[in-house]
Amino acid sequence: MKKSNLRIFSISLIVLLLITSSGILLGSWYLKNLEVTVKAKFDGQTWRFPSKIYSDSYLLYVGMHLRLEDILEKLRRLGYHETKTAPNGKGEYRYQRSSGLLDIYLHDFNYPTEPFKGIPVRIKLQGTAIDKVENGITGQEMFSLELEPELVTGLYENVWQERRLVVLADVPPLLIKAILAIEDERFDRHMGVDPVGLLRAIWVNLRAGAVVQGGSTLTQQLVKNFFLDSERTLSRKMKEAVMALIVERQYSKKEILENYLNEIYFGQKGSQGIHGIWEASQFYFSKPLSELSVGEIALTAGLIRGPNNYSPYRSVEAATRRRNVVLAKLRDDKIISRRQYDTALREALPHRDLVKVTNDAPFYVDFLRRELAENYSNDKLTAEGLRIFTSLDLQLQKIAERSLFDGLKRLEATYPALRRRGEEDSLEGAMIVIRPQTGEIKAMVGGRNYQKSQFNRVFQAKRQPGSIFKPFVYLAALMNEGSNGKKYTAVSKVDDSPFIWNYDGKEWKPGNYNDEFYGTVTFRRALEKSLNSATARIAQDVGIRRVRDLAHRLGIQSSLPAVPSLALGSAEVTPLEVAVAFSTLANNGVRTRPLTVKQVVDHNARVVEKRDVRVEKVVPAQTAYLINHLLKGVLDRGTAESARRAGFTRPAAGKTGTTNDYKDAWFVGYTPDLLAVVWVGFDNQSKLGLSGSQAALPIWTDFMKRATAGTPVTDFVPPPGVRFVEVDPLSGQLATLNCSSFVREAFAEGEEPTVTCALHLGEPLPNSRPE
Amino acid sequence: MISTKQRKTPVRLLQRVAAVIIVLAVYGCAPQPLYRRPLTPATAKPRSLPAPKPAPSSPPSSAASESPRRPLLEEANIREQDLKTQEKATPPITTSKETSLPPSVIPETFIPSTPPPLADDSSLLAKIAPGTPPQRAASLRLSEEGRMLLGSGDYAKALNRLERAIAIDSTNAYGHFLLAKAQYGLKRYKESLNFLEVAESRLRGEPFWLAEVYALRGENLRALGMADRAEDSYTKALSINSGNRTASEALSRMQSDGSATQR
Repeated sequence: MKKSNLRIFSISLIVLLLITSSGILLGSWYLKNLEVTVKAKFDGQTWRFPSKIYSDSYLLYVGMHLRLEDILEKLRRLGYHETKTAPNGKGEYRYQRSSGLLDIYLHDFNYPTEPFKGIPVRIKLQGTAIDKVENGITGQEMFSLELEPELVTGLYENVWQERRLVVLADVPPLLIKAILAIEDERFDRHMGVDPVGLLRAIWVNLRAGAVVQGGSTLTQQLVKNFFLDSERTLSRKMKEAVMALIVERQYSKKEILENYLNEIYFGQKGSQGIHGIWEASQFYFSKPLSELSVGEIALTAGLIRGPNNYSPYRSVEAATRRRNVVLAKLRDDKIISRRQYDTALREALPHRDLVKVTNDAPFYVDFLRRELAENYSNDKLTAEGLRIFTSLDLQLQKIAERSLFDGLKRLEATYPALRRRGEEDSLEGAMIVIRPQTGEIKAMVGGRNYQKSQFNRVFQAKRQPGSIFKPFVYLAALMNEGSNGKKYTAVSKVDDSPFIWNYDGKEWKPGNYNDEFYGTVTFRRALEKSLNSATARIAQDVGIRRVRDLAHRLGIQSSLPAVPSLALGSAEVTPLEVAVAFSTLANNGVRTRPLTVKQVVDHNARVVEKRDVRVEKVVPAQTAYLINHLLKGVLDRGTAESARRAGFTRPAAGKTGTTNDYKDAWFVGYTPDLLAVVWVGFDNQSKLGLSGSQAALPIWTDFMKRATAGTPVTDFVPPPGVRFVEVDPLSGQLATLNCSSFVREAFAEGEEPTVTCALHLGEPLPNSRPE
Repeated sequence: MISTKQRKTPVRLLQRVAAVIIVLAVYGCAPQPLYRRPLTPATAKPRSLPAPKPAPSSPPSSAASESPRRPLLEEANIREQDLKTQEKATPPITTSKETSLPPSVIPETFIPSTPPPLADDSSLLAKIAPGTPPQRAASLRLSEEGRMLLGSGDYAKALNRLERAIAIDSTNAYGHFLLAKAQYGLKRYKESLNFLEVAESRLRGEPFWLAEVYALRGENLRALGMADRAEDSYTKALSINSGNRTASEALSRMQSDGSATQR
C-alpha cells in the first residue's frame, strides 16, 4: 500500500471514529434528554385536574308543587334518559302520564357530607303536586328526595380536559382484558415496541388496502398522548418508539397500564376532552366503572380506536357494531363465555342526547371565581380537581337570562330610540336573584351578552338607586321617633308639598315626578306613590344619619354621604347591595350574608371549606313585617301596579326606582321565598328616559311569573306583636260603616288607631277593632 | 386471597361489641350523677353566688305574652358589646326563695320552684298535623332529622338539613334554634346567639322552646365568658320551664363552683 493511500485511510478512519463517537455522544445525550422528559412526566404531577363547579341540589318533597316539564328538563340536564319500561339502571327514568307516576333510578353522587348510592324512587303526582314518594326497592315512603347537583362548568387553564384518576385495583379486570385484547394483545410480552404486532398490522393493512389496524403498542399510544402530536411522520414514529422503549425500561407494566387508563382520550363533550376510563364511564353510561355491564365494557374498549366515530351519542348503530366486534374478539379469546357474549349482544344501547357543559351561568361563575380567589390560587383551581358546590339554581338562572334578554329586546322594539349605535352604547341590564332566608344567590345575569361584555353589572356597576332607596327612609321612620317624639305608622299624615331643606348652609329642594304634589297624604300612600317631597320630609324628621346607618345595617356597603338627597337615592350602589338589603326585609329583619360558594371538596373527598348560612337580626321582625306590608301596596295599588295587570298575582312586596335624570331604571321585588333585583340602563350613563316601572318592572314580572309557576303561594307571616285594623284610607282612623272604602292595615301592637273615622262618622265596622 | 382489611373486620367488630357491652354494664351500674356537666367548660372565672333576687311577679307564660313594644333602632341590632349594657337595664329576674340561702347551704341541684316543669315538646314531627302546609311539614321533618343528627354529634350533616329546613320555610323557628345549637356545638358562639335571636322572636308563644332558647343562650354567654349574663339567661329559662335540664344543671354547677371558690 502506498504511503499516500495509508494516510488517506488513516484520516478516513479518524474521521469515521470522530463521527461515530460524536454520534454516540449526541445519541446518548439525546436519549438522556428523552429519559429525563419521560421521568419528569411520570414521576411528577402528570395531569391537571380542573375544578368543577356544581349547582345546588334540588329537593323534592311531598306536597311540593312543580311543573312536570321543569322536572323532566332537569332530569335530562342531569344526564338521565327516558325508558319505555321501568328503569332498571342508574340514570334512567320513566314517566307515565296516565297514572302520574314518575320513576327515577337515581345516580350515585358523592355529596360533600355523605356519599349517596343511587336507588330507584317512585314519585306519584297529583295534578301539579307531589302526592307520594317511595323507595323503589323497599316500598318505604319518603318525605323528600334530593336530585344531585348539576355540573355547571370546570375551571380550566388552557386545555379543557375532563379526567379523574383511577388505580388499577378499581378497574374491572374484564375491562382491562378487553382493552388489552383489542388494543395490544402482546402487552405483557413486548418491550414497548412490538415488531410482531407491527408486521401483522402491515400485513392486515396491505390486504385491506387501507389502514384498518394500528401497530402501536399501549406504551407507544401513551407516549404519543403524553409527549407528541398526532402527525404521521417517520421521525415522530421513531421518537415514539424510542420513548416507548425508555418507558418500558424505567417503569413496570402495571404503572404503564395505569397511566394509560387514566390518560387515554375518549371523545368530546362540547369543547371539553374526555380523558381516562373513569370519565368515559360517566360520560357514556353515567355509571361508576364497577357497574359497567359486559356490553358496556366492550364498547368502552372499542371506543379507544375512534372515540368520535363510534360514540353512541353520534350513532347508536356504529357504536353497536363496534361493541359487537369487541365482544366477538373477547369470545374468541375465551375471555368471556358464550353465554356472556349472547347476553351482551342483546343489550340495547339507548339513544341519549349529549348534554354539553357550556357554562350556562358565566357571570355567576366569574363572580364565584373572584370569591374563590380569596382563598385559592388560580393554579390550585385549575389543576387540583376541587369540587365546588354552589347555591346556583340553573333553572332560575336560565329563566333570569331569558327574562332579561327578552325584556331588553322588547324595550328596544317598543322604544326605538333605545337602539343606539355602537357597541359601547347598547341598552344593558342586570339581574340578581336571592333566596332571602339563607342569602343564597340563586341566579346572576351581569349583562345582556357575556360574549360581548364580561363586565358584571350586578357587582361591578355602581349606579344611583333612585326611589328604591326610599323604603329605608320609611323603615327608619317606623323604627325611630321623629323630631317631636312622633311615632310614624302606616296612617300617619305626611305633607307632600314643595319645601326646602336647609343643611350645612345649603339648600336642597326635592321635586316630585311630573311636578305633581299631593298635599297631605298617609305614610302608606307616600310610599306607594313614591312621593319625593313627602319622603324627604320624613327623612328630615327622622334624621338622614339614621337613614344612612340603617341602610348600612341592612347590607349596603358603598359609602353613603349623609346629605338630604340620599333619601331619594342619590348615592351610588350595586344591584348586589340592593338585593342583600332588601333580602333582610324579606327575611323578617334578619340579614344573611350573600352566599355563592357553599362547600369546597378536594380530590380526596375531604371538605376543605364550608360556608354556612350566617344571620344577624338587624330589624325587629314586627317592623320588617310592617315595611313589607307597606311595600306590598306598591304592587297592589302603587307604582308597580302594572305587575298585577301583567298577571303576577302572588303576595309580593317591591319598589320601583327611577333616577332624577332617567339614566337608571330599577325594580326590586320579593315574595317571602324569592327576591329579584333588575337594573336597566346604559353603561355610558346616557339617558334611558324610562321609569323603573316601564323598563325594569316588566322584566321582573316576567321572571317572577316563570320562576314561581307551580310553587306554592306564600305570604309574609305576621310575627307576634302585629295587629290588623281596618282603617279609612283618607283619615287613617278606624273605618266606620259610612266609609266608602277601607284598608286592612298592620300596626305594631299598641300603636293602632283607637278613634273612629272623623270624615265618615258612624258605627265602627264590625272588624275594625284590633285583633 | 383474603385481604388484611377483610380479615381484620370481624375481629374488630367483636372487639367493638365487647367494648360496648362493657361500657353499658359499667354505666348501667354506676350511680347517676345529680347533674350533667354543662356542654362547654366555663371560660369565666368562678365567682360567688349572686345576691338573691325577688320572686317572680308574673306567671311563667308572662314572658311569652309580654306586650311587645316596637323596639327602637338602637335596640334592634344587639351586638356583643351592647349585651352588657342591656343587661343592666333588664329588670332583675326571678329566683325562688331557696336561692336566698347562703352559698354554703345551697343544694347542688338548683331549680326555682315556682313554675311546674313543662311537658317535653321537643319532637317536631308531633307538630305536623293533617292541615300543616307541605312546605312547613317538609321543613319540620328536615329540622327533626337535623335534631337527630345533632344528637349524634354529626354537625356537618345536621347543618345541611337545617339550612335546607329554613330555606323551605323561613318562619321555622325550631330550625333557627337548632341551627343555633349546631353553631354552639361548633364553638361559634356569636353565630349561635344570632340564630337564637331570630328563633326567640318567633317562639314567644311556646314556653318549652323559649326556655330552650334562653338556656342555650346561657350556654353561649357562658362560653363567651359572660357569666353574669349567662346566669340571668339560665334563670330566665327556669322561670319559664323549671324542668329545663340544661339551665338547672348549668346553674347548679355555677353555684357549686362559686361555693367551692368561697370555701
